Amino acid sequence: MFQKVLVANRGEIALRVIRTLREMGIRSVAVYSDADRASLHVRKADEAAHLGPSASSESYLSIPKILDAARRHGAEAIHPGYGFLSENAAFAQACEDAGIVFIGPSARSIRLMGSKTGARQVAKDGGAPIVPGTEQGLTSPDEALEFARAAGFPVMLKAVAGGGGKGMRRVDREVDLRSLFESASSEAARSFGDGRVYVEKLIENARHIEVQVFGDHHGNMVHLGERECSVQRRHQKVIEESPSPLVARMPGLRERMGEAAIKAARAAGYYNAGTVEFLADNDGNFYFLEMNTRLQVEHPVTEMVTGLDLVRMQLEVAAGGVLPIRQEDVVLRGAAVECRIYAEDPANNFFPSPGRIARLAEPSGPGVRLDSGVYQGWTVPVEYDPMLAKLITWAGTRDYAIDRMLRALGEYHVGGIRSNLGLFPLILNSAGFRAGDLDTGFLDRFLAAGVDWEPAAPAEFAGIAALVAMADRKPEAAPVAAGPSTSRWLATGRAENLR
Amino acid sequence: MIRVNGTPTSPTTGASVERVADGLYSVLLDGTSYEVRVLGNTITVNNHPFDVEIEDPRRWKRSGSAAGAHGRATINSPMPGKVVRLLVQLGDQVEAGQGIVVVEAMKMQNELKSPKAGRVAEIRVSENDGVAAGTVLVVIGE
Repeated sequence: MFQKVLVANRGEIALRVIRTLREMGIRSVAVYSDADRASLHVRKADEAAHLGPSASSESYLSIPKILDAARRHGAEAIHPGYGFLSENAAFAQACEDAGIVFIGPSARSIRLMGSKTGARQVAKDGGAPIVPGTEQGLTSPDEALEFARAAGFPVMLKAVAGGGGKGMRRVDREVDLRSLFESASSEAARSFGDGRVYVEKLIENARHIEVQVFGDHHGNMVHLGERECSVQRRHQKVIEESPSPLVARMPGLRERMGEAAIKAARAAGYYNAGTVEFLADNDGNFYFLEMNTRLQVEHPVTEMVTGLDLVRMQLEVAAGGVLPIRQEDVVLRGAAVECRIYAEDPANNFFPSPGRIARLAEPSGPGVRLDSGVYQGWTVPVEYDPMLAKLITWAGTRDYAIDRMLRALGEYHVGGIRSNLGLFPLILNSAGFRAGDLDTGFLDRFLAAGVDWEPAAPAEFAGIAALVAMADRKPEAAPVAAGPSTSRWLATGRAENLR
Repeated sequence: MIRVNGTPTSPTTGASVERVADGLYSVLLDGTSYEVRVLGNTITVNNHPFDVEIEDPRRWKRSGSAAGAHGRATINSPMPGKVVRLLVQLGDQVEAGQGIVVVEAMKMQNELKSPKAGRVAEIRVSENDGVAAGTVLVVIGE
């Protein structure tokens, strides 16, 4: 096993990895930009290396700087976390070339799964179901029409070089197809310098369900069940859970999705942790969407229901070890839910709200896990993604896990900046969420229906607020709790001759 | 006089108030327990936030940089960004809560509102200006 590992990331995921390194007796090396000198991951690591200015391009995205930091600190391996360089094939290759172990799949696998149409082809060749559609770019709207007539409307036109929703058009009626084809193609040409468009059947009311896969360098591969991530806003996941309410009520679906995921991953020669994303409908049909070649943000829900430490497994596999489990060892127990806590104001169009965290109270207690990257007094920098923490709860059933999440959210307080904490109880208490009746349009419809961001408080609260305002103004009337209590216990103990 | 969310409010009587940490109070009222947090003008009772102002003839405390019915209020950029639109002109009479200026940051547009009624006394930026966090954009006078 490695003696020292560099974590090429920041925030909660850097801390998440550092924690497992500490448990395994491996020294951790954090990296940081100017903006992150006081960040929690730097405080909690064994060693830390300064990368450079706050801009990601000059720090967390700089391959030479990160490799240089690894060399200076003598790290034998690099964990990339998620985001930043985690899905950068050139970085994985540069690590391999420098004789440093990249904790993840091979550069080749990352490259194969990185291209939209390429990944579709790999998955299809491997025998995983893909959304019905054409494989190559179309030369004319007539080809799209031919497909749409055969498959049925609605269909989706997508840019071959696509990404970020650009060059995508939903087509509901035959009469609209020509004009939408032209506009998708010209938008794709403007955005990507490639006007090619292909057509897919539109999966209505689709759920986003993904399967965690794990492989070693010896040809072993397992799946660790699914996560449902249908609660999304602007293609960003907001709440994730495992098991999926759909999969849980459809016998055999988990096994079928797991096998399809393994097929897709094997076709790419995959090893280490990966996630295969599917679109699924309520009849249990599912289609390969893409593969994420890294640890996912929402991996904790899988850890909670499987009892596994995915980061520990990543390290073991990267060090050349054999996968410690076989498929029959994987048992999903209970249910886990995760909420992504962001510094943003849901009542004001989710406007980001970085700044100083003047107050922080964090939840704990039975079945609660908080993967946080912040502390009271720290200033959330404006330069990076404003995610503060992930709150995860586990319980024997989905309903109990949701109840537990509501309880934990009630204990959570972030003051000084805005947060989206108030959003979650509204969603979790909604009839649709409770019933597990989800699809990727769920949250947009929920928000569009109108949300009361300031629910009426019980009548006595205003008077209590006024009372405390008075008390807080007169500090002499409210004595501060005594200082260090340990010494007083010690003194009392000695006085009573207990020690 | 104490205003809670703008409404004159009498402090509750007969409650036990225990200060347990800086800005954190435990309140017991008729056997019911409440957790109350104080941060500037915001007082949060069991996670319900209230805007509280204490008006005192001698000193009007608890009015932050922006709030308060009297005096001047500044509208500051909450974060680094760009001024997209000015919604008022110098000398305009504005109402509390009226949109004053739109700032774009992280690809999001944010309309900043006036904390008080008054007249636009100063406009310190122009449209398309880049601004740092905390930059004073507009000053609202009496």
